[in-house]
Amino acid sequence: MENSIDTIIGVNVTLKGNLFNKGSIQVNGSVEGEVKSDENILIGESAVIKGPVIAKKIEISGEVKGLVEANEKLEIQPTGKVYGDVNAKTLIIREGAVFVGKSIMSNTQGENTGEKKEKSLDAVENDEKVEPEITVNEKVDKLGFFSKK
Amino acid sequence: MYYYIFDIKKCKKRSVVSDIKNYLSFLGISGEFTYPSSAYSVAELVSLGLSKKYNTIVGIGDDEIANQIAASLYGKSEAMGLIPIEATETLANLIGTRSWKEAADSLRYRRIAEMKIGLIANGGAFLTEVDINAKNPVEVTLEFKDYLLQAKVRDLKISNFNPSIKKISPDHLDISFHSVGLKDRPLFTKLTSMFSNHQDETDFSLFRARSLRVFTSSQIPIFSGGHQIAKTPQLIESSDDYLRLIVGKKSSLS
Repeated sequence: MENSIDTIIGVNVTLKGNLFNKGSIQVNGSVEGEVKSDENILIGESAVIKGPVIAKKIEISGEVKGLVEANEKLEIQPTGKVYGDVNAKTLIIREGAVFVGKSIMSNTQGENTGEKKEKSLDAVENDEKVEPEITVNEKVDKLGFFSKK
Repeated sequence: MYYYIFDIKKCKKRSVVSDIKNYLSFLGISGEFTYPSSAYSVAELVSLGLSKKYNTIVGIGDDEIANQIAASLYGKSEAMGLIPIEATETLANLIGTRSWKEAADSLRYRRIAEMKIGLIANGGAFLTEVDINAKNPVEVTLEFKDYLLQAKVRDLKISNFNPSIKKISPDHLDISFHSVGLKDRPLFTKLTSMFSNHQDETDFSLFRARSLRVFTSSQIPIFSGGHQIAKTPQLIESSDDYLRLIVGKKSSLS
């Protein structure tokens, strides 16, 4: 999240409606509606968002109830809580994070390489090795490690 | 060529008035001097200057006269000059001059920058910023095109030009404030923040918009450069047209 932030929603601020920005957005307050950026979205620990979050890179340390769609990378920090489906090319869920929903991993062409349904996932992964492990399909499993005999 | 609107009330020393006039003559850019009064407002003097075909209207004074001239001159081909006296640092930063002498020098070189200005629905305007700086934090509702936000705030600023905020678009105003809401914090955090000068960074908000409406629970004055120019509720927006402003070499606009 090295880009400078264009819009900052401070703690104790309530925003209702749709926020669209070409630049990066940092959320520390409450939002009811869509938050969309062509760059990055940083969701702080005190943030609560009810609605879809769409950006190139998304980092979640607060709470999101709704669809989360990252064209490049989605990272759920240990304090982060996501209740909703996520769609990302790269997905990182840190230990302690809460994720309740369905994850869809997309490749660069926008095709889904796999999907996994989660009923309740607490503390999934510690490192950034999540992306290939979640996506298992027949093409990848040539040696039959994952298929039952 | 130069039409000066001189707010002589801003000169604490009477000698400064003649010093400025003499220096402008020395630079070869002397012109007609006028003075706002109860008989002639700044807006009337500007239109008088334009009717006399002057191509440069120069305000001598603080932010108040600068804003009043800008309100009458934006969207026109004539240029605006400024010789700041008792003006805010932000305005001095905008035109890139620290003293009236530097400003007079920059008038002679006539380096023109085009900029948009902030407009207020009551007919007022501002070159730099307006602020709602009530003694106590105030509950505001800011209505933007696609969303509205509510918060209890202090230091609400709506900036057309603020050197501490990186502008992302000349068409947009930058809206910044600190939000207040101690009741939601744990007791320990409340106590620490009470006895410390440290500002919580997460309470800072920044938005960009072409226009917004400002609502408050009670009517609150809106200031620019220490002068009240409007009251809430108010519609504030960025101008469609540009103002041609003469700036110095060190100006943020050049």
